[in-house]
Amino acid sequence: MRLAELQLQDFRNVEQAQLTLSPRTTVLAGENGQGKTNLLEAVYLLATLRPLRASRLAELVRFGATRARVEAAADGPGGLRRLAVEVADGTRQAYLDGKPIERLDDYFQGLAAVCFSPDDLLLVKSGPELRRRFLDRAAWSRWPAVLAEARDYLRALRARNAALRTESREVEESFRGPLLRTAARLLRRRHDLLEELAPRVARAFAEISGPGAPPAGLRYRPASGMPMAGTEEELAARLGEILALRLERDREKGYTSAGPHMDDLSLSLGDRGARTFASQGQQRALVLALKIAEIDNLTAVLGRPPLLLLDDVSSELDPAKNRYLLEYLARLPGQAILTTTDRHLLEPAAGPGALFYEVVRGRFTHRE
Amino acid sequence: MAVADPIARLVKELARLPGIGEKTAQRLAFHVLEAGPGYAQALSEAITGVVRDVHLCSRCQTLTDRDPCPICADPQRDARVVCVVEGVPDLLALERTHEYRGRYHVLHGSLSPLDGVGPGDLKIRELLVRLEEQPADEIVIATNPDVEGEATALYLAKLLKPLGLKVTRIAQGVPMGGDLEYADQVTLARALAGRREI
Repeated sequence: MRLAELQLQDFRNVEQAQLTLSPRTTVLAGENGQGKTNLLEAVYLLATLRPLRASRLAELVRFGATRARVEAAADGPGGLRRLAVEVADGTRQAYLDGKPIERLDDYFQGLAAVCFSPDDLLLVKSGPELRRRFLDRAAWSRWPAVLAEARDYLRALRARNAALRTESREVEESFRGPLLRTAARLLRRRHDLLEELAPRVARAFAEISGPGAPPAGLRYRPASGMPMAGTEEELAARLGEILALRLERDREKGYTSAGPHMDDLSLSLGDRGARTFASQGQQRALVLALKIAEIDNLTAVLGRPPLLLLDDVSSELDPAKNRYLLEYLARLPGQAILTTTDRHLLEPAAGPGALFYEVVRGRFTHRE
Repeated sequence: MAVADPIARLVKELARLPGIGEKTAQRLAFHVLEAGPGYAQALSEAITGVVRDVHLCSRCQTLTDRDPCPICADPQRDARVVCVVEGVPDLLALERTHEYRGRYHVLHGSLSPLDGVGPGDLKIRELLVRLEEQPADEIVIATNPDVEGEATALYLAKLLKPLGLKVTRIAQGVPMGGDLEYADQVTLARALAGRREI
């Protein structure tokens, strides 16, 4: 899906904006706090109907306004369609050619969007939560059903945790059934995704780091240490045994101590854990490799690149890595929106047909 | 605009109904006024009647104005098979198929520790008492295919199997006769994963 003729109304600090998006690269340049990221957030919401950050929908509405609206022409099968999303009263509603719709994938193929922001650079060093979120978002772009599957798991987990705190052992045991079924599904998804990503990450990392660099590896690491081979039924049975062993402790704590919500993505360089041993430069190279692997994989699956949103990444990368990223982007035949505080950083990625905008206090002005 | 007190009172009561906002309530109130005293009488009697005459069937716990309810009283229905459902709308949906010739048991909910709903809040004791008085061979569990429905089914199975009963669960998956294109992604993904050779 390509987007054109973007319009924003009362979205975060943007009262009203109208800009033409390039079918290839659009660059938004401006000082921090002027609204560059807000525009990326708006595009992400429009392309996925999901908020980019884990913020409440109500925060997307400009202070003092009651309703935020993002609209664009989107090309799907059958030509250009008007796609719009409105946020009001903490809920969102999407419209296609003015008619309310529930899901985008009923109308568009390959609507996946990938966002890369400075926050992602923490992926290697941070706690496991950020890596789990990366995995689930990437798995959801890869298989749309993952969104609902992850929600089902969360619901089963909350119900089982509540059941652990009740007197009845029988009720707790009954909720273990749906918990194990939904957990096994999510484990399978994450594991399958990593199988697809691992060789791509290794290749990209080697290219970015040059000769002599240790090989990059990634592996799913269940907190319980359980093996990941086998069918979903086998995974469920294995996790079931672990939860049975931990039952008394879990009852005491009122919390399920094993399962996908506790697991981690383990990144390594050679035989050493990247979280502990990677240098600052290696960490950034690894994150860049992860993102490129995700984009490559989606491109292979969808038959064309996903919509790319890069939020001020160039200023965080050293010149060599920046050049690698920009050359990669210039080769990719997809649509990308990039923000920067210094447009010269991004000019190598621009290529033919690139559009530049200057962003000041929520206003977007076209610049040659 | 000042509205006469009786109208305001009616609007207030109507607006307490689920799905009825203040404006709709006002429109309904004016409609009642315009329809005249005959309609108002019929409506108010219907409302009082439903609360006065409808109660739970002492056997299957469905809502009825007779006890036992027509299904429990029907000698043509097979008392050896009991289908357990979460609510009365589920029972009505199954009845519309004209496929099922057994009896029912309505739980009035599903286990939900998050909402503080435990076994004691559902009509489970009533089910056990009833099975003692009127033995059955098979219990068909037709709770919803969500987390709570699934857990409730497992709970009941664990409770009933030791009594020597055959416990079955209705099948799940892509709706037959429906269009594949309308099935949700999780159902489709599950159906693909569970495919079988023909």
